[in-house]
Amino acid sequence: MAIEGIMENVASDITSATKTLFETMIMLDLKHDSSFFEDDTQIKTDVIGMVSFTGKYHGVIALFCSKKFALKVASTMLMTDLTDFTNEVKDAVGEVSNMIAGNVKTKLTAQYGEMNLSIPIVIAGEGLSITAVNNHPVVAETTLSCFSKDPWLMTPFISSGEKFDVGLLLKESGK
Amino acid sequence: MPKVLIIDDSAVMRKIIQRNIQQSGLLVDEFVEAGDGREGLEKATANNIDLILCDWNMPNMTGIDFVKALRGSGQKSNIPIVMVTTEGGEAKIEEAKNSGANGYLTKPFTPDQLKSKLGNFLLVK
Repeated sequence: MAIEGIMENVASDITSATKTLFETMIMLDLKHDSSFFEDDTQIKTDVIGMVSFTGKYHGVIALFCSKKFALKVASTMLMTDLTDFTNEVKDAVGEVSNMIAGNVKTKLTAQYGEMNLSIPIVIAGEGLSITAVNNHPVVAETTLSCFSKDPWLMTPFISSGEKFDVGLLLKESGK
Repeated sequence: MPKVLIIDDSAVMRKIIQRNIQQSGLLVDEFVEAGDGREGLEKATANNIDLILCDWNMPNMTGIDFVKALRGSGQKSNIPIVMVTTEGGEAKIEEAKNSGANGYLTKPFTPDQLKSKLGNFLLVK
């Protein structure tokens, strides 16, 4: 099967893993849309939670979301109202990414043999305030852009009125 | 009253597990936390632990290496260990069992799934 076909199968696993996670540990409503390939230059986000995997195939599964959504998810998981973007919020985003990637990896392992997962990494941008010409302040809503040599297969989700994406980069090892 | 050691590199996950156990009605007197297998070994040997919940993928010392180290140490080597991890699949469960783990629960889990798994090792109020 061509790598694009495998990626689409994996995207279906990502959707199912994300739904299971929201039904068991996050308890927020969740809707998803069809996956699509997105050029890295189009990805703008506040927070990235990513887990890489190696084996017959290697790649990255990454959660892209706003700080507002990260706060919402962390607050729900911890059953407390968090308002500051602390390390605890980053930890929660890391665990969410880890649980999605772990579920997907189990399915990949069943089909393609043993694979190894990395520990999650979370990257969050700080809000930028830029004073533009004519003294009109401009606030950048999103502060991170993502660069990679291949397009991401993105699966878009909406929860509590906030959009987030789970992206996949996948390559066959040794090719 | 039982003392439970939770080993997970995520402080958020340690809190969630603790809260779920407290709300489940399972009898636990005290929770001890560790952020990786190495710290887990220190805490397991320094405390009178009755049950250990252990993640798999962690920095410094993985959960499976922790299980092997504790079982091979001769000290406290009979404390029940339940793996609580995103690692799933038969091969991983078998590896954990063969290394000395007594139970296995994959994340994500519901409070009922956690209670059911730990009910084999803890009494209910």
